[in-house]
Amino acid sequence: MFADELKTLRRLGVRHVLLQILNFVSVLASGLMIWKGLGLITNTESPIVVVLSGSMEPAFYRGDLLFLTNPPNQRYETGDITVYKVPGADIPIVHRVLETHDLAKRGKGLVPASPLAPNQLLLTKGDNNHVDDLELYQGLEWLERKHIVGKVRGFLPYVGYVTIAMNDFPQLKYALLGGLGLLALIQRE
Amino acid sequence: MHTIYARVNNVSAMLSTCLMVLLGAVSLSSFLLTTTPPPGHLSVTNIKVFPGNARRYANKNQDFTFVNFNLTADLTPLFNWNTKQLFLYVAAEYENKQGTKNDVVIWDRIVRRKEDAQISVAGRNKYVFREVSASFGDVPPAHYTLKYNVMPYVGVLTYGEAARTVNPVPFPESQDLS
Repeated sequence: MFADELKTLRRLGVRHVLLQILNFVSVLASGLMIWKGLGLITNTESPIVVVLSGSMEPAFYRGDLLFLTNPPNQRYETGDITVYKVPGADIPIVHRVLETHDLAKRGKGLVPASPLAPNQLLLTKGDNNHVDDLELYQGLEWLERKHIVGKVRGFLPYVGYVTIAMNDFPQLKYALLGGLGLLALIQRE
Repeated sequence: MHTIYARVNNVSAMLSTCLMVLLGAVSLSSFLLTTTPPPGHLSVTNIKVFPGNARRYANKNQDFTFVNFNLTADLTPLFNWNTKQLFLYVAAEYENKQGTKNDVVIWDRIVRRKEDAQISVAGRNKYVFREVSASFGDVPPAHYTLKYNVMPYVGVLTYGEAARTVNPVPFPESQDLS
């Protein structure tokens, strides 16, 4: 079976192989461009995330896909579901905002807190957890805007389970990647 | 051209396009089907402030407020075929003397069925109600509101407010537990 494929490969020549590699790379590059473009529009580093834990059940289950935005001119409000990443923790967490405290600017007199208070203190909690997230903050007292990746605006169930499956069974990932690569090289069009 | 690969490719592309269009239509339909619920009633029946120890620093003192409230609201209009659940929460809104605007959730509930969307609760705060400055002395009165978050099976999350206390509720003097 492979001898046959090798024969076609030899017949088509080096140029064809190079062309296929170019095609493959351009597919990858356009995917990356779409991802980064979405990130620019929504102002978050990852506009689409997959839920990895059950701490927001029954709202979000493992494998659900969330669409995030992070408008720079909008404050976070209680009830917003935010994705945050505190320094020292490697996995971003999807939890709901429980408390917001918009600090007034310190300095020359007291200025009332603007709706875009730059220093907003946040406390979050998972719907399925009994207590708030203070223990998850790695020593921080409050979350701040700089820790927030974005807030959840849209929801699509189950679709992200593919990535979880690929993480749980790495063989699947390699099989998929290898298969795709082989197809891209061999396919003649 | 008529290889199995091409056929499988075509069929799966067709199916996934159809599915995406269908899901898009479902998520758009909730914009047309959702109506705002009639305003409910929220009143604070009892409010007390007690001093206590902070959670992380055992020797730091902090005020804790305990709120009892009555809540009635009819949120059935929020349920349509694309409503997975409602997340209801009661939040205290106030601005303290330092100009800090605070919004603190003291109670929440998840409603998953339309039959349970007639809310009638005589409750008290589920979550600790603290002040950033640790003391509720001198803090102006707070408004209490019932807000909701509609979570769809697929589509956009929406938010709204269903009830609000008529007048702001003042914080009482801190009582000692001796």
